[in-house]
Amino acid sequence: MAVRHLNVEVRLESAVAVLDLMGEINGFAEEALNTAYAEADAKDTKTILLNFEGVDYINSTGIALIVGLLAKARASHKRLLACNLSEHYVEIFNITRLSDFMSVFPDEESAVVEASVS
Amino acid sequence: MTDPKPAHTDAELRRTLAEFSVPSEPGKERLAMQTVAEAVRDLDFRAENLERLKTAVAEATMNAMEHGNKYRAEVPVEIVVLIEDQDLMVRITDRGSGPPPSQGGDTPDLEAKLEGMQTPRGWGLFLIKSMVDEMSISGDDGHHTIELVVHLGAEGGM
Repeated sequence: MAVRHLNVEVRLESAVAVLDLMGEINGFAEEALNTAYAEADAKDTKTILLNFEGVDYINSTGIALIVGLLAKARASHKRLLACNLSEHYVEIFNITRLSDFMSVFPDEESAVVEASVS
Repeated sequence: MTDPKPAHTDAELRRTLAEFSVPSEPGKERLAMQTVAEAVRDLDFRAENLERLKTAVAEATMNAMEHGNKYRAEVPVEIVVLIEDQDLMVRITDRGSGPPPSQGGDTPDLEAKLEGMQTPRGWGLFLIKSMVDEMSISGDDGHHTIELVVHLGAEGGM
């Protein structure tokens, strides 16, 4: 079983910087994730959305990378949101308490709507 | 990876579903979790509980590769999947030396991590403990074994 290295595309959607994550979020993902986050951060939006639709595996190292992104967002007073997590990873975001600091939405549309009204 | 051996019965109440090893290379934990998932596919796990087991196996295998085998690819992590009475057990063994690692697994302090007062890492044992019914770690001078236990319910799985 080959590792599916993370590929990230960054785009702007209604004043939200969206990171489309595709692949695995593990130790191999650090550079791709941090580079994409820096690109999203440079778009100077108040909200950055992590779109997990193309992600089928997140391990504990990947959780640590997400914690790192959340710390960066808090330091720069930006909101970090998540969408399209599978039920299993919603559970993991709940038990790790990531979802206490990063609102989780079932889809991109609801996340973008929430970002636009708050 | 060595080929999984076919299921066989060791004793009346114990049945080995799979026995295999994976090299200690980053990413190979997915091979371990997928092989375990295939070994238990006839147990009729609910999908969410199978995902929990897979995460626990992946994290325990990663710990074995990193802390026990120091990511030396030629040193295998050995994995046994078996059923005993109403318990599914997955035993994951590395070649670590010294006393077995702490059972750990306390809830990590996310606030401290976000404030930079703790490393963002340190989720593995906590995730393992959260995903299965029981977890224990044992060992001797040349091996450490983490045992994951899932109680199989009357409704066919968990």
